Amino acid sequence: FKDFKVHPPASDPKLAINSQVLILDLLEDGFGEHPFYHCLIAEVPKEGQIGSSCIVGYAMYYFTYDPWIGKLLYLEDFYVMEPYRGLGIGSEILKRLSQIAIKTNCSCMHFLVVIWNKPSIEYYVRRGALDLSTEEGWHLFRIDKENLLRMASGE
Amino acid sequence: MECVLRPCRAEDCAEVVRMIKELAEFEKLPDQVEISDQVLREDGFANNPFYRCLVAEVPPEHRSRDGHTVVGYGLYFFTYSTWKGRNIYMEDLYVMPEFRGKGIGKKLMSKIAEIGVENRCSQMKFVVLDWNRAAIDFYQGHGAVDLTAAEGWHFFHLEGDALKQLARGQLGQ
Repeated sequence: FKDFKVHPPASDPKLAINSQVLILDLLEDGFGEHPFYHCLIAEVPKEGQIGSSCIVGYAMYYFTYDPWIGKLLYLEDFYVMEPYRGLGIGSEILKRLSQIAIKTNCSCMHFLVVIWNKPSIEYYVRRGALDLSTEEGWHLFRIDKENLLRMASGE
Repeated sequence: MECVLRPCRAEDCAEVVRMIKELAEFEKLPDQVEISDQVLREDGFANNPFYRCLVAEVPPEHRSRDGHTVVGYGLYFFTYSTWKGRNIYMEDLYVMPEFRGKGIGKKLMSKIAEIGVENRCSQMKFVVLDWNRAAIDFYQGHGAVDLTAAEGWHFFHLEGDALKQLARGQLGQ
């Protein structure tokens, strides 16, 4: 598995990323008229099976907006299967994402990391990332569906 | 006081930029604003807009001391979670100081929540500065949870030279 390819997937119903979001939702939301996300996948050839490959990593991203500076690329998920780490797949994915960001005139790339995830923090800081929550005090807030419905009905 | 919420039109962009700068001033980060009326127009009114915006407008007889009738805005867009699917992200919520305390902020946020529900979004997300006690209380009053405090989520950004170096396949610093 020295050769790997990183590219956007064709509509592949087998691209099951998680348990809560249904495959059909992913299909409609990613490949419908208005895509809510974009995805890069990393493929390696299947050992012993010429012409066959398997997906070993992915990055889900979309474009967001900062009224101060304009378009941003937001990295939502970034994952490489454990047996395939340390081979430069993650770096290649980040390289492609950065190129996409620059090509689409995005000022920067944003993403979230959980603060106790030290290896990830080091991985990103080594590449020049800055923790805005610590530096500037930005906190992420969430309002769940129940409270959204309450607000939408004017309560 | 009568206040109408409506989608921002291209010709409102100059007013929205004025309020973006006022909000940045309040957040003590005014030097970070680089946007212009033209860029906001291009990005919001192209084929695939990068954001959506609601404005709050009062009748001319209630205009601000400086003569403005557009007195607040809510800028939002759709994001995506691999765990929950579609989300709505409230990027900016602002009401001019002299129009606060009249429920305009709540109206703007409720409208954005309604748009989120209509579009099958499972949650709304946004960021607040940790010293902005008034805003934190306002949002927590509507059921918002601080995920940075509760779960340790931190916002990171990669920009400028670090982004260019990554694009070239080099480690940044």
